[in-house]
Order: sequence, then structure tokens, then C-alpha cells
Amino acid sequence: MPRLAALVVVVALFAAACSSSSAPVEGIDPPTPITSEDMQTLLAGSTEPIVLNVWASWCTPCRSEAPLLSKAAIEFADDVRFVGLDVKDTPDNAVSFIAEFYPDAPIDHYADESGTIPTDLGGTLGVPLTFFYRPGGELSYMHIGVIDERTLALQIDELVNG
Amino acid sequence: MEFTLLGAAAIAGAAAYLMLRWEAVHGNTDRTDGDVWEIGVVSAVAGIFIGRIIAMLIDGVNPIAHPLDIILVRSGISTAGAALGAAVLFFWQSRKQPVAMADAISAAALAGLSGWAAGCLIRGTCLGTATDLPWGMSQAGSTVTRHPVGLYAAILFAVAAIALAAWKAYGRPSAGVPASVAVIAAAGIRLATEPFRPSISGGPIWFYAASLVVGLVGVLWFGIVAPKRASSSG
Repeated sequence: MPRLAALVVVVALFAAACSSSSAPVEGIDPPTPITSEDMQTLLAGSTEPIVLNVWASWCTPCRSEAPLLSKAAIEFADDVRFVGLDVKDTPDNAVSFIAEFYPDAPIDHYADESGTIPTDLGGTLGVPLTFFYRPGGELSYMHIGVIDERTLALQIDELVNG
Repeated sequence: MEFTLLGAAAIAGAAAYLMLRWEAVHGNTDRTDGDVWEIGVVSAVAGIFIGRIIAMLIDGVNPIAHPLDIILVRSGISTAGAALGAAVLFFWQSRKQPVAMADAISAAALAGLSGWAAGCLIRGTCLGTATDLPWGMSQAGSTVTRHPVGLYAAILFAVAAIALAAWKAYGRPSAGVPASVAVIAAAGIRLATEPFRPSISGGPIWFYAASLVVGLVGVLWFGIVAPKRASSSG
């Protein structure tokens, strides 16, 4: 019985591997390059709350948290604007990442090749990093590292109802 | 793995261990020959990673192509997958006397859940939905007071664990009933606290409800049907 169960698990994993999620890349634009000044203008000029997630295609933890952020962006599309900031990445890799994790999520992705914008915003050099801004660009909360569902939901609730 | 999660896991483990030590003095393990602590820890840790792999599959992430993602448990665990995985492993390891072993770990499991919930103080995930109640708490820089739902859960689990341990020690319930009551308590507390938790996709209410039903069936079976059968056949 244990051997049968182990066999079922292995077969299921290989089946999942075969049906790997290599989504088509057509129709997905690479992130728009943005400067630190333009990003700060975008945040300050926003009339709605913003969740700004800093990511990179080479970052394993970013990959790990992406499905949750995608779900949140779809769920709270009417209340919060989701912005992605891809740092130190190549356009091709960024497009593949967006195609894999955010094909339908309403997230505006920008590119920061130098990777200096997060620190200009008061963050860290490491990714992932998630900022929560009130309308007008006031920072409500910053989360360093992989974000969990409870934290993400609580901070979005702070933005929407705070 | 995130260090705050490790801290919460350490609190959970310590709470479960202390409960088992207290119960050992009061005859908890006299009907079991396995190491309840060891089997429980192995099952819980394996259950977490089973839950993580299931969550990845649900999200469309291939765990074979991205094995490092498996240890990033903060990104999400399937509660149902983790609980069922841990239960299956626990019963498989204690298959010689599954009912006695389940009873043996029942109060410690609730204590562990209490410790895990109290770990929200380390993880910064205690706060729930907004409230005007006087014990509401707010995060730094916020004017919104919120239910400390993580602490609600920790207190409820702790009360349930202590009550169950005392009942086992002094009431001597029928075999299988303590484990069933623990399932009812765990599911009921989760059902009661879930509405106070902000979430993205909603908690696994269906799983908690199903667990509650399983626990109730267990109490009926082990508390009424099985003793009657035993007395009529004896």
C-alpha cells in the first residue's frame, strides 16, 4: 500500500511536469522602462491605493509568491492598483515570467534595469519586496521577502478601509 | 524557509511537547508503544511540505521544475492537503494501534495549534478584520483597530487542549473519543475564527466543515456505537 501511494504521487508529479505551464508569450509586452523620478511621480499622482511588488524573473522567492499576487490583483482589481517593478532583468525573461504567472492579472509592469528604484523608495536591494501606498503616494507598509496571504490581505484591507 | 515561520513552528513544537510531558505523568501514553512525539513531528513536518506541493500544483507551478519553491512555505500551503497528508502519515506510522495513538496525541495537537496561532506575534499576522471593540489592536501607523484573531485562535486552542488533557487524565473517556473531540475542536475553532481573518481567496471553510462532521461521526461511533457493540458481544 505505501509503495502504491508513493507510485501515485510520483506519477502525479510527472504528469504535472509534462503539463508544464509554458504559456504562450505572444501578446505580452515587456515591462515599460521607468526611472526613479517617474515612479515617484506615478505613486504621488495616483488617486487609488497602489500595491507595488518588486520582482525579477531570476528570483525564486518572487516566483513562489507570484500566484498569490496574481490572485489578489484579480480579486481586488476594483479597489487597488497593482504595479510590478521588474529589476535587473532582461525583457525576454521578464516576458516569460509575466506569461507564466500574470497572463490575466491586471498588473502594470515596469522595468528598472539598474535596480536602484526600490532603495530610492526606502526599500532594500533584495527581492521580492512589496510596498503598499495610500492614494497620493503615502507609504502604508513595506514587506521584505516573500509575502504570505494573511499579510497581503491585511495590508490591502488597510489600504481599502484604512 | 522564513525565520518567523520557524519561530512559530518552534513555539508550536514546544507547546505540543510540554503537553505530552504533562500527559505522560498522568498516564497518557500507557496504552501506546510508539513514540508519540516523534511520529507527530514527522507527520506535521511532512504534512507541511505535502500541503506546499499541493498548493503549488493548484497554482499551476510544477514542483519538479521548481523544487526550491517547495521550501518557500510562506507562499502558501493547502490546509486540507497538509492536514490530510499529516493524518495519513500519522496513521501509517502508528498503524498497529491507530486509535490509541490518535488519542495520545489529541491534546498535544491542539496545544501545538495553539502555539502555532500564538506565533502570529512573531510573524506579524495576528490582526484580522476591523472592529470597534475595546480590545481591538492596530498596526503601527494605522488608525484602524482590528480583531486580534490570531490570539483568539491561540487562546481557544489552548483552552481546548487543557480541557481535553484534563478529561483524558481524570474522566477516562472511551477509546477514540478524545481524538474525535480534538478534531471537532480544531475544526470548530477554525470555523469560528475564519470570518475575522482577511483573506485573498477565502479560507478552506469546506474542509473545516467536513472535519467537524468527521469529528462528530467519530464521537458517535467511538462514544456510543462501539461501546454498545462491545458490551453486546461480550
